[in-house]
Amino acid sequence: MLWPALTDPVHDSQRLFRQILQAMSEPGTLHELCAPCPPRDASIGPALWGALLTLCDLDTQLWIDPALDSPELRDALHFHTGCRLTQDATLADFALVTPDTLAREIDFAIGNDSYPDRGTTLLVAVEYLSDDGPWQFSGPGIETQRCLGVGNAHALMSRLSVNRSRFPCGLDAILACGTRLAAIPRSTRIVNRQQEDRACMSQ
Amino acid sequence: MYVAVKGGEQAIANAHRLLADRRRGEREQAELSVEQIGGQLRLAVDRVMSEASLYDPELAALALKQASGDLVEAVFLLRAYRTTLPRLAVSEPLDTGTMRIERRISAAYKDIPGGQVLGPTYDYTHRLLDFMQLAEGETPEPARADAALARCPQILDLLNAEGLIEREHDDGSEPADITRDPPDYPVDRAARLQMLARGDEGYLLALGYSTQRGYGRNHPFAGEIRLGHVDVEIHVKEWDETICIGEIALSECQMINQFGGSREVAPQFTRGYGLAFGHNERKTLAMALVDRALRAEELGEPISGPAQQAEFVLAHADSVEASGFVSHLKLPHYVDFQSELELLRRLRKAHGNARGSGDAAMEDAV
Amino acid sequence: MNGYNFAYLDEQTKRMIRRALLKAVAIPGYQVPFGGREMPMPYGWGTGGMQLTASILGGDDVLKVIDQGADDTTNAVSIRAFFERVAGVETTTATAAADVIQTRHRIPETPLEHDQILVFQVPIPEPLRFIEPSEQETRLMHALEEYGVMHVKLYEDIARYGHIATTYAYPVKVDGRYVMDPSPIPKFDNPKLDMSAALMLFGAGREKRLYAIPPYTRVESLDFEDHPFEIQQWDEHCALCGSDHSFLDEVITDDAGNRLFICSDTDYCLTRRGEVA
Repeated sequence: MLWPALTDPVHDSQRLFRQILQAMSEPGTLHELCAPCPPRDASIGPALWGALLTLCDLDTQLWIDPALDSPELRDALHFHTGCRLTQDATLADFALVTPDTLAREIDFAIGNDSYPDRGTTLLVAVEYLSDDGPWQFSGPGIETQRCLGVGNAHALMSRLSVNRSRFPCGLDAILACGTRLAAIPRSTRIVNRQQEDRACMSQ
Repeated sequence: MYVAVKGGEQAIANAHRLLADRRRGEREQAELSVEQIGGQLRLAVDRVMSEASLYDPELAALALKQASGDLVEAVFLLRAYRTTLPRLAVSEPLDTGTMRIERRISAAYKDIPGGQVLGPTYDYTHRLLDFMQLAEGETPEPARADAALARCPQILDLLNAEGLIEREHDDGSEPADITRDPPDYPVDRAARLQMLARGDEGYLLALGYSTQRGYGRNHPFAGEIRLGHVDVEIHVKEWDETICIGEIALSECQMINQFGGSREVAPQFTRGYGLAFGHNERKTLAMALVDRALRAEELGEPISGPAQQAEFVLAHADSVEASGFVSHLKLPHYVDFQSELELLRRLRKAHGNARGSGDAAMEDAV
Repeated sequence: MNGYNFAYLDEQTKRMIRRALLKAVAIPGYQVPFGGREMPMPYGWGTGGMQLTASILGGDDVLKVIDQGADDTTNAVSIRAFFERVAGVETTTATAAADVIQTRHRIPETPLEHDQILVFQVPIPEPLRFIEPSEQETRLMHALEEYGVMHVKLYEDIARYGHIATTYAYPVKVDGRYVMDPSPIPKFDNPKLDMSAALMLFGAGREKRLYAIPPYTRVESLDFEDHPFEIQQWDEHCALCGSDHSFLDEVITDDAGNRLFICSDTDYCLTRRGEVA
């Protein structure tokens, strides 16, 4: 099939949702998603494609970074989810991005103090995702501390690091590389261990 | 040993069998058919359809039968069914100006273009029990006009032409959908009218009545009440055509209320609006009174009565929500009650100790 | 069941609730508005919890339903039968064997484990509602983190009774930000919310709000330095299993008002009796 979808939409999307829910509840934990291959030529992996199929529908607006956009992806999204595409990032429920997207000054929705939930959830295609990395997390969902490596994603991580200063407003992120997925909600405190170490040594 | 009352699946199943038996009643009597309910208890059917927000006379009649005539229960049954239905299309706005009139009256004018049409009404009936119906007497055929009623102009449009009544503007924006999104207070008028339209008739009646007795008075005149059938149309994108998919019966009340005005705007009449499925005249009158009362803030009027407090009025109007939460008091609460018992005993003990030592101190002093 | 989707709700409704759940987890303790649907059971009888359960439940999950801690109270039986019917899932009364536990008014005595999800039925999600009835006002108070009125209310209790007179639905603060209603659980259960290994989801159907506490999240019960939070205590032990540390229900045994105390958590009590015997 040209546009691979979930074999059993009801039960597959339930299973994928539970994994995404667990990822969001326990920031930085890694989850292997059993999801269909994305449309040909799309620059995203099965995990992100599975998340899109699970979360998007007629009621959601999606913003796509030009770097990830393709006619095949649009057609497949339209056919399987019916989600609306938007050019206006402030209206996006979900945004399909790369770490570099966050280097640009794009105004995604971060909600407001009365309705902080009205913020964009970033769906980020990363090139590397593992539990050994310089980014150290703490906060809800983390018993003590947890580490994550996301490759060369400084723009993304520095954007997510400022979440705490605006809490409860902020951006929530779902990161995926191939079939692997992790999440960083706005509640997570993020520090860069390497920078910390350097700061310690310079003192 | 005694253990706490436990409900088993068997107990619940038995309770439901007993309920079905009571619903059926004496087996020697013929069973009431859904068609009979639809044909002979149509005002109950209309009320159930309105408050359930689902236009389906047959299913509303079934709900009434299943609920043994309990209207609130029937509304709940039909609403719970409605929520499972897919949304296939969105209709064009209904045009009540094109209504095929069965009844239409105005209290504001003696005579109106198109005439006053009483139609099927309980108004002016003497409320004397008709013992003929007990004896199942014959009902004579009604007198009917020779020609169908022509399209009647709406009375408020006549006032509109003269600028005497505020104009309603359609700004083209997508209205809120209270069946999809929770109310976000303060809600706009579109959401408010939707909430009132499915609100409990008795509740709206009491609130509307309260405005007439001075708790947020707004000097109403029943500008026009009409009742009849209206076409439902949908626009089919693929054909670029609007087609009629059927007709529904509606009641509409347009209330004319005392004029407002300011330095900028000349004094003019204001409106209250009521709309319901089927023959639901009392509901639409009450709804129009409450709609107008809830416009107090928008029109710069002092808020002095309960009917003018939007969050209070709207949050408590839905009989399905209200009856559910009130009746949940029947569920076991013994954990919470136990917590209160424990505290109350502790407080009483502390109170007793304090009094005891106080008395002792008094005695010492003496 | 014929004519209805798996777990009753249609897929679009489930997706709407799932998206709201992700936001709830990302903003612990914040009440996310959601387009609550009518369920085939009355509002106030657990429709919020049921919508959440229906949205997360999978065919492989084992479900437990309790009301007042017990598996065999009428409403728990009814909700469990509903999910057996519409989702065909396996059910259990054993806390440790359940993947998803829907509860009304209790947290099980057996500590919950990682990967378990506890779904609470919530009647009034707004902890400030009985101090300020207007939704517009309470929304603003949460936005401004303006929780002084709650402390004033609790302190008025102390002034009047010498104690905080709130015994259930005792307010908590989640991760140092949102004041949250833990649903009408006895305050005895409040300490179980703090740094729990399980994910806790809260659903209020009539009020159309849902919220969450992720695993390992700080949850403090509101108190004062001179009046620290404390839980209920009994002089008695459970008449059935002898427990001296579980929440006890009082049972009146005769006309003379004699009474005994038994565990409200039936599974915990039965398990202990199995061990004792």
